[in-house]
Amino acid sequence: MSQSLRPYLKCVRSSLTAAISLSDFASQIAERHNVPEIEAAKSPEVLLNPLTISRNEHERVLIEPSVNSIRVSIKIKQADEIENILVHKFTRFLTQRAENFFILRRKPVKGYDISFLITNFHTEQMLKHKLVDFIIHFMEEVDKEISEMKLFLNARARFVAEAFLTPFD
Amino acid sequence: MSVPEVNLLFHEPIADHSFSADRNLLAVARDSRVQLYARSGNGFALQDELAGHDKTVTSVDIAPQSGKIVTCSQDRNALVWEPSPTGWKPTLVLLRINRAATHVRWSPDETKFAVGSGARVIAVCYFEEENDWWVSKHLKKPLRTTVLSLNWHPNSVLLAAGSADAHARVFSAFIKGVDQRPEPTVWGERLPFNTVCGEFSNSSGGWVHSVAFSPSGNALAYAAHDSSITVVYPSAPEQPPLSVVSITTQMLPFTSLIWAREDQIIAAGHDCHPVVFQGDMNGGWTQAYSIDDPAQRQDSGEGAESSALNMFRQMDLKGRTTSVDDTNLKTIHQNTISTIRPYQGEPGNVSKFSSTGVDGRIVIFPVA
Amino acid sequence: MATGNWRLIDVDALDPENAFPAELLTPQFAPVPLADIQALANHCRQSLQRGEQEEALLTALKNVPYGGDDQGKELHLATILEILSSIKQAEMTPILARIYSSPNGTELLDALMKYLYKGMARHNASNNGTPGVSVHATGASSVSGFGGATREFGVAPSRGDGGGMSVLLSWHEKVVDVAGTGAIVRVMTDRRTV
Repeated sequence: MSQSLRPYLKCVRSSLTAAISLSDFASQIAERHNVPEIEAAKSPEVLLNPLTISRNEHERVLIEPSVNSIRVSIKIKQADEIENILVHKFTRFLTQRAENFFILRRKPVKGYDISFLITNFHTEQMLKHKLVDFIIHFMEEVDKEISEMKLFLNARARFVAEAFLTPFD
Repeated sequence: MSVPEVNLLFHEPIADHSFSADRNLLAVARDSRVQLYARSGNGFALQDELAGHDKTVTSVDIAPQSGKIVTCSQDRNALVWEPSPTGWKPTLVLLRINRAATHVRWSPDETKFAVGSGARVIAVCYFEEENDWWVSKHLKKPLRTTVLSLNWHPNSVLLAAGSADAHARVFSAFIKGVDQRPEPTVWGERLPFNTVCGEFSNSSGGWVHSVAFSPSGNALAYAAHDSSITVVYPSAPEQPPLSVVSITTQMLPFTSLIWAREDQIIAAGHDCHPVVFQGDMNGGWTQAYSIDDPAQRQDSGEGAESSALNMFRQMDLKGRTTSVDDTNLKTIHQNTISTIRPYQGEPGNVSKFSSTGVDGRIVIFPVA
Repeated sequence: MATGNWRLIDVDALDPENAFPAELLTPQFAPVPLADIQALANHCRQSLQRGEQEEALLTALKNVPYGGDDQGKELHLATILEILSSIKQAEMTPILARIYSSPNGTELLDALMKYLYKGMARHNASNNGTPGVSVHATGASSVSGFGGATREFGVAPSRGDGGGMSVLLSWHEKVVDVAGTGAIVRVMTDRRTV
């Protein structure tokens, strides 16, 4: 399992490094405005081909680049119903605090669990290779977090059930 | 082999920069203002600030002879600043565009300047004496998207433009009454305003970030977003070009390029260090070497710090478990280079060039 | 007065000046008949059986059917995936180095990169979106979807999803080592999609 993780993350890292070459671009549609072109999606010539990197059918990353912004959407591995709920709650926790995150998008793209929107203003204020490092680190850690949460959840459920049912013995 | 001269001006991106002819005055675009720095010793000291725009200033150019500064910004305006005893005075420019202006350059004879814009139009402006303002004529015909970069031919009539539809085009910007009839060139002879002398694009697409005519004007080079440089040698007007050489690289895309000599091009971009290409029409072009190459940068001091003490200090301060500090890039520029311009040497033999980037640094590199 | 819902008319879409037809972006190609692609697939399969994998890969990469229809493109993708999975790990880097140094090498590797990304995107589409297969969050539909959509796989039907993907991922790593991030940038900017 972990032997395909390294090439998967390496692939995501190189694809992100290539896609994160952003430059300032004023909107062609609305004067005096500067919008992330991948979100506006009004001018086809400034959008680029999206890239999908997948490890298996449950884990994949979609990168949609454009001239001044990229959207990175991640599908996290969810093996059963409990993990579905945990991932949903976890991403909800993060997206509700999206302002502090700067690069997080409040709603994930359809078919994915969490999305990041990185604009040229972010790459001007922050270091590009560190942004890429952050996303890779996030992908590595989120799997561990979900498994850890599941373990704690099961342990807690067992303890509660035991405590509740012992008097009825 | 001289050492590059580095100056960190401020921690904001620099969209464009320009030196005066004697290299003592540096104009730098900083957000919605243009700051003027004067040379002082090895560095630059802030001298003046031109604050006439509402939105981000996208381009600055200083005319070498007359010393006038033209600036354009995303608020659809361009301004021409003239030096006067009481400071810099702006002159009105009638651009008549309804989208952001992206790039502005003086023509070599300084009677006109061209402004590229997001309104799918290039405004070529000339001075009208009776009303004391600059009026514009629009180059419209084949343009359907934002114009990203401009470059004038040495004869001040031909203009190359790179745009977001992945095409580089050469236009004639001949204005009756302002220009003399130019000599015939490989690009064309009788050239009324808005003639398209050539249209070029790459097979793998990519927005054209930068265009440049060679010092003689007989070749055109452009850098596109597909990480490539293309050099076009035209043969005659209305004929297919003699040769179009495209060099694709392994690096990230380039955002700016200049000709150092007729057979040498310097390009810089998202890789944060300049790269030199060499070649000619017959032999083809190749990537020669990199200036400020990160692979060759031997950091002497970095290795000594990987002690146990440093490791625990990193874990305590930053929560980092590895001792490698990779926050700083190995190149001088810490972020994308946005513009490079010739600094020293005549147009056919540039010996030094200046570069500014998104990290707020201005660096003067030697070509060799 | 006016007909219907005049408030919802998208004026910008009707403005002829703003129109940027998609044809301007993607260059037109002569249509490639399915028979040609099929013939190429057979030729490559024969090369594979003779053990000439590099030859098969070169042929497949040199004749990318940009003008073909969707079915033709899918067929060519399957051919390339077949060739890729038949080349052993140890031989990947030398083959790539030889392709890179051959004339037009960068274009061939760019095309290979496009197929790698398309392969990764396809594997997901075939497992999650094939019509008639209901998608459960648990991914229980994967088995039936996979078998149905990739019948052309030919050589390795038993290779599960994980195996197919890791082949593509290891190829991707090797191609980036040889051709650099420039190849990935060109996959994004090139409007000629495979």
